[in-house]
Amino acid sequence: MGNAVLMLVAVFAPLAGAFLLPLLGAVSRPVRNYTALALVTASLVSALLLVPGALRGEVISFHLAAPLGLSLAFTADALAVFMAIVSSLVGAIIMLFSFDYISHYENQNEYYLMAVVFLGAMMGLVFSTNLIYLFVFWEITGIASWRLIGFYRGKADVLKADKAFLITAVGALVMLIGVLAVYGLTGTFDLTAMKGTALPLGVSALLLVGLLSKSATLPFQTWLPDAGVAPSPVTALLHAAVLVKIGVYVFARFFLSTFVFDEALRTIVASIAGASALVSAGAALVETDFKRIVAYSTVSQIGFIFLGFAMGNAIGAAGALLYILMHGLAKAGLFLSAGIVEQNAGTKDITKLGGLIRSMPWTAGAFLLCAFSVMGIPPFGGFFGKYMVLSAAVSGGEMVFGAVFLTGALLTILYLFRLFSKVFLGEPHGEPAAEKSRLMVACVVLLAVLSLVGGLAVAWPSQLARIAVSQMLGVAR
Amino acid sequence: MTQWALLLAIVVPAAAGLLTLILPRRRAPWAPAALAALACAFELAVAIYVFPKDFAFSWSWMGFGVSFALRLSRLSAFALLGIATFSFLVTIYSAASMAKAPASRRYHAWVVFTVAFSAGAVLADNLVLLLVFWGGLLLTLFAMIASGKTRPFATAIKAFVIVGLTDLALMFGVMLYGRLAGTLSMSAIHLPLNGLGSVAFLLLLIGAMGKAGAMPFHSWIPDAAVDAPTPFMALLPGSLEKILGIYFLARVSLDLFILRPESWVSPVMMWIGAVTILLAVMMALVQKDYKKLLAYHAISQVGYMILGIGTALPVGIVGGLFHMVNNAIYKSSLFLSAGAVEKEAGTTDLRELGGLGRAMPVTMVCFLVAAASISGVPPFNGFFSKELVYDGALERGWIFYAIALAGSFFTAASFLKLGHAAFFGKPANEKRPLKETVKEAPWPMLVPMIVLAGLCILFGVANALPLEHLIQPALGPAMEGAHGGTFAGFPTNMMLVALTGAVLLLAVLNHALGVRRTGRGLGAVDHIYHAPGLASIYHIQATGALDPYRWLNGLAGALARVLFWIDRAIDWVYQTLAAKTTLAASWVLRRFHSGNVNRYILWALAGALAIVLTVLAVVGGVR
Repeated sequence: MGNAVLMLVAVFAPLAGAFLLPLLGAVSRPVRNYTALALVTASLVSALLLVPGALRGEVISFHLAAPLGLSLAFTADALAVFMAIVSSLVGAIIMLFSFDYISHYENQNEYYLMAVVFLGAMMGLVFSTNLIYLFVFWEITGIASWRLIGFYRGKADVLKADKAFLITAVGALVMLIGVLAVYGLTGTFDLTAMKGTALPLGVSALLLVGLLSKSATLPFQTWLPDAGVAPSPVTALLHAAVLVKIGVYVFARFFLSTFVFDEALRTIVASIAGASALVSAGAALVETDFKRIVAYSTVSQIGFIFLGFAMGNAIGAAGALLYILMHGLAKAGLFLSAGIVEQNAGTKDITKLGGLIRSMPWTAGAFLLCAFSVMGIPPFGGFFGKYMVLSAAVSGGEMVFGAVFLTGALLTILYLFRLFSKVFLGEPHGEPAAEKSRLMVACVVLLAVLSLVGGLAVAWPSQLARIAVSQMLGVAR
Repeated sequence: MTQWALLLAIVVPAAAGLLTLILPRRRAPWAPAALAALACAFELAVAIYVFPKDFAFSWSWMGFGVSFALRLSRLSAFALLGIATFSFLVTIYSAASMAKAPASRRYHAWVVFTVAFSAGAVLADNLVLLLVFWGGLLLTLFAMIASGKTRPFATAIKAFVIVGLTDLALMFGVMLYGRLAGTLSMSAIHLPLNGLGSVAFLLLLIGAMGKAGAMPFHSWIPDAAVDAPTPFMALLPGSLEKILGIYFLARVSLDLFILRPESWVSPVMMWIGAVTILLAVMMALVQKDYKKLLAYHAISQVGYMILGIGTALPVGIVGGLFHMVNNAIYKSSLFLSAGAVEKEAGTTDLRELGGLGRAMPVTMVCFLVAAASISGVPPFNGFFSKELVYDGALERGWIFYAIALAGSFFTAASFLKLGHAAFFGKPANEKRPLKETVKEAPWPMLVPMIVLAGLCILFGVANALPLEHLIQPALGPAMEGAHGGTFAGFPTNMMLVALTGAVLLLAVLNHALGVRRTGRGLGAVDHIYHAPGLASIYHIQATGALDPYRWLNGLAGALARVLFWIDRAIDWVYQTLAAKTTLAASWVLRRFHSGNVNRYILWALAGALAIVLTVLAVVGGVR
């Protein structure tokens, strides 16, 4: 029971505690900020405390019976614990970064409220095994991200926020039809009870629309680069580490751990992932807005994660999980360095930036390290995820997918270096912008170091990932 | 004990690198160089200590066939010894040559990291572990180029992209090999070279070529020669990268697969080697910069090694590996001489150099020995390894031999020109005379050059030493020669020796002709440069249009524009089509709400009628 409490703390500390933040904000800003950080850290600590049990292969569940299929059901298996750690770890670093970044804007109370609610809902989604609650948490993240994307309240900002909300919400409605169809087939909303069900392809497709729209994968990808109008910590939170990973996480939850993953669906998902990885990598090589490029890069890398899960073998699933972690860390670092550059240089347009390596050496270095991880250069963490995902395709005999994603990996190297060159190299335009906030730089450096340590000490996360995979696929370790 | 020695060979240099990076910047300016030299000396001691041993161990790491497995085979021990020797010599040299460079601390740190990753790469027995160390080398390559005086990030990025591309191919090859072999261990089984096996072989070959700098993955090297610190050129493109690339190529050809002359990949490799030899040496010939000229030779010489191994004959493979050792010796010596000239004369532009021999006699002698070696003059080491490669090449086809021999002609011609322009004669540019103060380089820079020049002579005169104690044991009994099992001693095929002599003589005559026509050493090959046909090719090359890196970027740019257009088309569906459709639908619906009561009544009646008719139709249908 003690461990079930940890799970409830991980979910409800941020979800309920968030509503205190506006009140605290009226009293004292620092108190509000530290409370927000503490709430997210509570989730992180709880999730970390669940690790020893998860490593022993224990599955903890919490069940609160209710009529009409509305029983509250949380389960902490290795997959959920892994995902919870990724979200809360990156989330906590981003909250810390926000202290300085957000400090000179309006609506700070709402910012902290929405960001912490978002993370709490993410925790709820991760642990939920009841489809109704999973859907509810899913929509809470949607609403919170809608408010956060439109944080600056300009007309264009609000329009982009609406676009993001409309695409993901319409996708979610399609998924809801799929959820109801699943209920029609199985007579339950409990995911653990429907294990081993074979879904008709049509129902799988309905679910898939929701997953792809949330994870900003082709053909639903364009809301993500547009949502770059949000403050940088928001883009990091939503578009790098947490929100876009919801789709892939629930995909794994549905099709690897619950339903029978049929061959046709596997090919469809892998093809979509391949197209998504290539198209957005190409777009990243053409765009001229710092955050749009990084956002397209996210779309592209999500394709790699989908590929790993779609291959359905153990190495692919484990690689996809590792890549969720490594990409989350490194991409958050890229978005946050975009934030530092944007705030100090006053523009995101890379044609108007240049030479910042001299005035912002730490940011430039951290950016480069994070970029190496996203490129998949060993010994950075990203390599191991990418290697395992590609290896899954090749060892499964899918040479074409292997080649497509290899092209994607090459384009990744090209567009990240193009971005680095335009922003940090060459001649500065006008006044050289300096790194004003040490806290912000420290957060980016921390993410860069974690990207490297994640690779050097890859044995640890990979151990948890392997247990998660053996639970998902039901294979012996 | 051996296990710990192997681990320490990787860990100690890495730790020294970390320590160098976090050392206080101003307190001890000599510390980085001293630490690097100590770490490399330690590496050398370990390499000698473990050399006679044969040892393997493995730790479980991340599952899925990926283990932390190290294995000290004869070939690894040989490669490790080479890595330790060259890094030690170059570190001593750079202690003096980099002393005043602004990035000296970081440079020394990257050197020892490079040593650590190289040791890991040659000791790794698991292909993924090899990929990890290989990737670490990509990072240090980038960092070392970027620590040049002008912070040449553009060149560093170019090197990173090109070598990174080959690393991706290598990764794909490793995966394919793992699928076919069912293991990622490098010493478990030999795969046959057929079907997908050949594809895997080619992908691994690309990985080795990228590291060794063979064409078409070469074009960053001449750029780096201009921008990067000179000892870097001696260390990486000059020696370590050749050792690593050719070591891996040998492992791929002898361990992962068994390369046989009948396989179609053998002629592919020989053609790659031959083309690399000829094209790169043609470029080297016309360079007007000391370091850039050497850089093209660093590319050209790889061709001999790949050609030798590609013959799939014992004599060629032994020759290829021997040439790898010899090339590392004379090429690093040559780059070090360039560094000495650069430091003392302040430039490596041959148009401003001349007559340095009088002021820098030791440097000049070292240069002459190394230049004679690379040109294949007996009894220096390069002669013997080239003859072995020639022997193998001629057996596989006269065309390969002819190209290799032509390469030797141009090599000799370009070094006659280089030596003449730099160390003899007078500065070509009278308006900017050399500094009066040119003197001999300091001892820490001279000693490594002298040692290397000594090795050029030793490995030539006593070629049984490297051949019978380093190379042939490393390759095993399958690679024994026909004559008493050894390839040492003077070449047996006198026709080859005679032809080599003739080519060298031709190069001298060509030089004399060129000098007579233009009156200076630098102009010795102008008549080739301006030869009809060649002149236009050189002209196009000078614009950079023949740089594969430019093609890659152009191709990626074109692909990206097409992909971006697809992305925009999808966005148009949401941004425009969805919005327009919604507006149109609401416009149509708005028409119905005109406010006219009569019309509403009409609609209501029509609706009621439709419902009644539908119900009747359904009821009728049921009945």
